Amino acid sequence: MREVTSLPFKILLKTNKLIMVSNLRHIWQTLKYWPFYLWAIYHFSGYKPQPLKMQIVNKWFRQFEEKDKFSILKLLWNIRYVTERETEDLILSRNSNLLERLSKSNITCKNIIYVQIHDPGSSSAVILNMLRDRGKLERKGCYFVDSKNILELNKLTSKLESGAIIYVDDFAGSGHQFCSVRDPFSEYIIGNFSEFFLLPCICEEALYELGHRGVEAVAGFVHEKAVRPLHPNSSIFGKATKERLVEICTKIDPKGALGYNKLAAMVVFYRNAPNAVPVILRGRVYQQEWIGILPRTTDLP
Amino acid sequence: MNPNADKNKEKLKKNEDNAASIIPQGSLKKLKVSQIKPSSNNPRLLFDPVPLSELKENICQNGVLVPITVYEVRGQNIYAILDGQRRYQCCVALEKEGKEISIPANIVDPPSKIAGLLFMFSIHNFREQWELMPTALSLKVVMEDLGEHDSEKLSKLTGLSLPQVERCKILLSFSEKYQELSLDPEPTTRIPSNFWIEANPILDLTEETIPTLAKKLGRDGITDKLVEKYRGKKIRSVIHFRRITEAYELSEDDKSQRSRVIERLENYITNPQLETRAAFDEFVVDSRRIQNVVSACEEFISQIRRAKVEHVLEREELTIALKDVKIYIEAILQKLEGSDEPSLQNTVEDK
Repeated sequence: MREVTSLPFKILLKTNKLIMVSNLRHIWQTLKYWPFYLWAIYHFSGYKPQPLKMQIVNKWFRQFEEKDKFSILKLLWNIRYVTERETEDLILSRNSNLLERLSKSNITCKNIIYVQIHDPGSSSAVILNMLRDRGKLERKGCYFVDSKNILELNKLTSKLESGAIIYVDDFAGSGHQFCSVRDPFSEYIIGNFSEFFLLPCICEEALYELGHRGVEAVAGFVHEKAVRPLHPNSSIFGKATKERLVEICTKIDPKGALGYNKLAAMVVFYRNAPNAVPVILRGRVYQQEWIGILPRTTDLP
Repeated sequence: MNPNADKNKEKLKKNEDNAASIIPQGSLKKLKVSQIKPSSNNPRLLFDPVPLSELKENICQNGVLVPITVYEVRGQNIYAILDGQRRYQCCVALEKEGKEISIPANIVDPPSKIAGLLFMFSIHNFREQWELMPTALSLKVVMEDLGEHDSEKLSKLTGLSLPQVERCKILLSFSEKYQELSLDPEPTTRIPSNFWIEANPILDLTEETIPTLAKKLGRDGITDKLVEKYRGKKIRSVIHFRRITEAYELSEDDKSQRSRVIERLENYITNPQLETRAAFDEFVVDSRRIQNVVSACEEFISQIRRAKVEHVLEREELTIALKDVKIYIEAILQKLEGSDEPSLQNTVEDK
């Protein structure tokens, strides 16, 4: 027995205990957040770029220090996740209201041009295809133009002389991207056309840009600054917590910490996350150094 | 020709005497900035910042005194500007500074397509920089709807200058497939409108001087070759096309030179790697340089004559300078004769 309690054995025993304790702690830490993991997997189900699994949520969450984890949970809670079903419902209902309104102003479907504002395969094209099929727009006599096909627009507006142009997309953050497409395009419009931007979600910053051009936003909902926890105008988090989270974002990616134009947007679509979403949620490009829970398709390796 | 062309023409005749009559009379209303839609054909480049700031100051103190002219945009509760973009821009700027200003507006019926286009032309006449393509396409609509193709009449009707109308017509003479290349939203791949304007004489020249090639490739085929060359960066500036016509014109009195120019043109079109200046500079630049040197010589002699230096007393410095000239000229003459004495080359440069 004396031999058993020799020094090497004691060391081995202590090490084993340590390993057990650390394993238990690790298991406990994982178990402690299990309800949250399950909620996240259920809540963000159907996210196409990277379907959420227990392993991914765990890996993402373990990147944070223990003291920050409650704030991170709260941040995740504030994401407005728009499912495929909700996207369709929002677009179809807003479009139907718009068509009704235009009809009252004597603008029939035969004088309405829908414009896809980005390349085929982009959100704009997907939304417009869905709208065309589900809304039976082709049968109603509406026209469809790609924003790159300026000559077609020129001829079509010249032929129709008046009516409405409806640009379609899924999200507008600052509105800059939309305006960069619409402004040169609009120079070729002939006749009198009202202009609308139909989309499920628009940030309040984009409303100004659109309003300044006389383009009316027809959106499912407006994403206000106040509901974005990391935005300076939001009071969801206290000052210290917000500063801490922004600090983490800046450490991950000093340039794109809060997303494009520092919008700190908290809207994520089933198809993709806008580039205006903070890096803390999206992860770094190619998911190197920092992995995200809801990465954009372009963020993935 | 559009069947409604005559009707449109009649309507227009009533209006064409003065541009103001395009804008009909309407009712007066006070509007907020947010209720107004600016004209998309009226870019910011149009206005000088200094007079604009004076107007802004005036509006800040007295409000908008002269009503702007707008029409209601169907389906939207806003009004589009026909006249008064400057006043509107000042009000937007003032609103940004926190001053709320209501704008008196004369609300009129929406203009017809043609009236709207003519109004757009009148705006374009004041633009500092504008792309020719939107104007050309709008002119096409006017030509088709009114059945009017005479350049002088179109110039009077639209307020565009005669050369502008002609340039637009050249653009429109290219098929849509080429027009689309100038409408590419991507600036890096867009072919500038000027490319077509400058390429047109080359196409004409090729058809006239190399009919076999023109028959083989067709006008579009030759155009494709030029586009390919442009994309391959073998036309560094579209203005370089002018060297080709210049080379052709300069060879008017020299048959062998002309046949060389034509041969080079054929090679230039068929060989995508041949750069414009590399192909034609030898026909153009030399003659330009010669002309420049001839003028310089004449000017030099004339200045020396005017100075009447034959009778001056302090001749030392003058003699050295004239000797330097003599040495330099002799060296050039020797070079032109085919002999070259390098020792003479540096005489003047070393001084």
